[in-house]
Amino acid sequence: MRLPIIGYVLSDVIVSWIITLIIGGFLLWWLTAKRKWPLILDYIGTTDNRKIGTMYILFAILFFIRGGMDAMFIRTQLAVPDNDFWVFQADKYNEVFTTHGTVMIFFVAMPLLIGLMNIAVPLQLGANDLAFPYLNAISFWLFVSGAFIFNMAFFFNAAPNAGWTAYAPLSNDTFTSGPNNNYYIFGLQISGLGTIFTAINMIVTIARLRAPGMKLSRMPLFPWATLVTSSLILVAFPVLTVALLLLMFDRFYGTSFFGGEFGSPVYWQHLFWIFGHPEVYILVLPAFGIFSDIISTFSRKRIYGYTSMVISITLIGLLGFMVWAHHMFTVGLGALANSVFAITTMLIAVPTGIKVFNWLFTMRKGVVRMTTPMLFALGFIPTFVIGGVTGVMLAVAAADYQYHDSYFVVAHFHYTMIGGTILGAFAGIYYWYPKMTGKMLNEKLGKWHFWLFIIGFHLTFLPQHFAGLNGMPRRVFTYTWEDGVFLFNFVSTIGAYLMGISMLFVLWNLFKTHRSGTSSVDGDPWDGRTLEWTTDSPAPEHPFPNVPVVDRLDAYWYAKVNQTNLPQTKDVRPDPISIRTFQPILLAGVLMVMSIGFIYHWMWLQILGGGSVLAFFLIRSWTDERNEAYRKGEKS
Amino acid sequence: MKKTGWILTLFLLSGCSLRVLDPASPYADKITRLIYLSFGIMMLVFVVVMILFVHFLKKFHETSDRVDEIPVDESGNRKLEITWTVLPVLLLVILAVPTVTTTYQLTSGASQGEGGQDKERVIIHVKAEQFRWEFTYEGGEVSYDKLVLPLDKEVELRLTSEDVIHSFWAPNLAGKIDVFPDKETRLVFTANKLGDFQGKCAEFCGSHHALMRFETTVMEASAYETWLQDQ
Ligand code: HEM
Ligand SMILES: [Cu+2]
Ligand SMILES: [Cu+2]
Repeated sequence: MRLPIIGYVLSDVIVSWIITLIIGGFLLWWLTAKRKWPLILDYIGTTDNRKIGTMYILFAILFFIRGGMDAMFIRTQLAVPDNDFWVFQADKYNEVFTTHGTVMIFFVAMPLLIGLMNIAVPLQLGANDLAFPYLNAISFWLFVSGAFIFNMAFFFNAAPNAGWTAYAPLSNDTFTSGPNNNYYIFGLQISGLGTIFTAINMIVTIARLRAPGMKLSRMPLFPWATLVTSSLILVAFPVLTVALLLLMFDRFYGTSFFGGEFGSPVYWQHLFWIFGHPEVYILVLPAFGIFSDIISTFSRKRIYGYTSMVISITLIGLLGFMVWAHHMFTVGLGALANSVFAITTMLIAVPTGIKVFNWLFTMRKGVVRMTTPMLFALGFIPTFVIGGVTGVMLAVAAADYQYHDSYFVVAHFHYTMIGGTILGAFAGIYYWYPKMTGKMLNEKLGKWHFWLFIIGFHLTFLPQHFAGLNGMPRRVFTYTWEDGVFLFNFVSTIGAYLMGISMLFVLWNLFKTHRSGTSSVDGDPWDGRTLEWTTDSPAPEHPFPNVPVVDRLDAYWYAKVNQTNLPQTKDVRPDPISIRTFQPILLAGVLMVMSIGFIYHWMWLQILGGGSVLAFFLIRSWTDERNEAYRKGEKS
Repeated sequence: MKKTGWILTLFLLSGCSLRVLDPASPYADKITRLIYLSFGIMMLVFVVVMILFVHFLKKFHETSDRVDEIPVDESGNRKLEITWTVLPVLLLVILAVPTVTTTYQLTSGASQGEGGQDKERVIIHVKAEQFRWEFTYEGGEVSYDKLVLPLDKEVELRLTSEDVIHSFWAPNLAGKIDVFPDKETRLVFTANKLGDFQGKCAEFCGSHHALMRFETTVMEASAYETWLQDQ
């Protein structure tokens, strides 16, 4: 179909316009009928960590649906050889896997984890909020803004199409002209800014706001993982920012960083993976932290080998910066470079192995309770170990000449990213749901979700290893009968549908839990060990009027065992100030306007948006929300 | 975990027919051995983890008589922790040594474009462009999407791209080598089995990346010469 301005449009875009209009209209009606607008305004203007964390997770679920639908289209198109499913061939297929990968990494996995950090980390530390609540709101709205920019592209029939790695020169304007990959650049640029701010916020919170007595050596492992991850973000994300900026200059202003006489497409690959490899540890370390807390809680034992757990995550974080070229073994960097990066990559298996054995030995001699969060943690162990051992196989540089860019790699990274990050996020959501909402998710539906998801997962991704070994490259929209990969792909597609179905149980569970007078739970429904379980459920905006004093790891647990109460300090210390403000969403809005100006090369909009952003900085420089608090303080 | 077992059997049954594990050159054969070695070591690790996992779950899951039990506090065990640090290191050393030697053997100077002029080698120029392969032989003969190689002769491919990055991959014969617009890469191997082998572009290169395939035919040296003359 040909339309003015937008041009030639295929039916999938039109169908999504219609569906979006219908769902959007229904939502507007529902919100108005149920008088939900004040609640929404309350959340938009909030700087409270629990509310912001909850919104992170809600948006992540929304984008999970989007990325998941992309995955279903991919799997349907690949179900049988020489398939012609709907529109998903050639360019359309390329758009779908590009948006699938980018959305899943930046707009699903990241916000799920950051959301859980927002909710749990301050509570576990005994802090009343993050160190910079206002900055936290900015981070969140920048994420939303970047995610909207990226997801908008599809609706304007201009979805990015150079893969989530956007390799030059394919991502240059010579080979992919049009706004498509501009959306990629600006979507990631703006949400990445938000991520960097979150990292700063987390580091300062952990450094400054721990409860009295909570030395770093007594801190639970989720905050520890958050600390290491945030440091990785602080180093890795600016590299992405720079890379995207250079790519933008190549695309917009004819520079030649990644091509031409002096530039080289390999520079892009280095920059991208210097960011990209740490990024995968940024995604998995918080999940490790979540699993550590959950396995310990539901084994009723403290974590085995706490010190080596901490050393391991730190080591993994450090080594994570020294392995990027294992994504470039086939580039021809030479035997020396390939060997060195092969060995550094293998080294990472050691601290990871230490963690796995410590988790196992935490359960030994414990009392292992099979709750939903624990099931996800248990599912994680074999799944992630498979992903880990295929990782070591990939590290064998010479062998990677075969695996590289084949379905073997697709299988490997889904084992680590779904087996690690996504299972971890699910576990964390079931575990901390009482802290978010005051209610417990239904255990029975939770278990259905787990079993369908994990079975579907292995069905989807195990066969892909063999498809790869039989010569199926990744990012292909079709294959033939002679390729001999039909069975692998067919099983894979069935598994993907099973995973899709399992997600319906989550929606049903949410619906059931919030439907009607389900009663609230008390502060400590799981018999927990860490400070978040000393507060009410849901956690109030000011959870610790008197901060507990901690004298050991899992102090709350030992207090319960000894039937005492945690001592509390009388010393009140200055708390982060929470306010109600609409500045963050406005800033995110004007940045989005500016981005659209760039994406479509509309100079006037760039100036308008850029000017507004500057104006915003000025306004912000002259406001100080602490003034009011000072005034109050003086009066009393 | 039953599924794993099932698919593993399938793997063992069909292992030898998966292209990567069905080498038709000493080059690919080296990789195949390396893959089996790494797979073996890694299965060992996986099995150990699974035994502990299943055993601990069977033995220590909550039963109705243990609902109120509070297990004895333990913080760790130096000796055990050293064990599972040192053993993996040993396993990795066993893997790392052949990794490095094979990587050096296969990543000959040739892949960086500095191979000497070896008289014995058959040199074929490969040009990749969206979305086809052009092969130029020593006498200037040209073929598209079809590469013909003489049996038991060392060939050296010299690859360049006309546009974006592609990657040359014929899984039975050799590993991948990326093809760049701004530099020449090389790949050296010797086909030692007659027959037709699939080849594919393995680096995403745009709309019809999936269709950018070629076929490799390995012929007796004499048949190769006649084939060249017919071009
Ligand atoms: C929900 C089930 C999922 C299914 C069925 C699925 C399926 C797939 C498939 C088949 C591909 C390969 C596409 C191709 O090479 O042509 C792919 C690519 C990818 N997936 Fe998934 N996926 C799922 C979830 C996820 C999740 C949760 C993440 C990340 C956290 C993820 C990250 C990626 C990435 C990064 C790529 C690479 C995209 C690219 O090549 O540019 N996927 N997925
Ligand atoms: Cu990596
Ligand atoms: Cu290609």
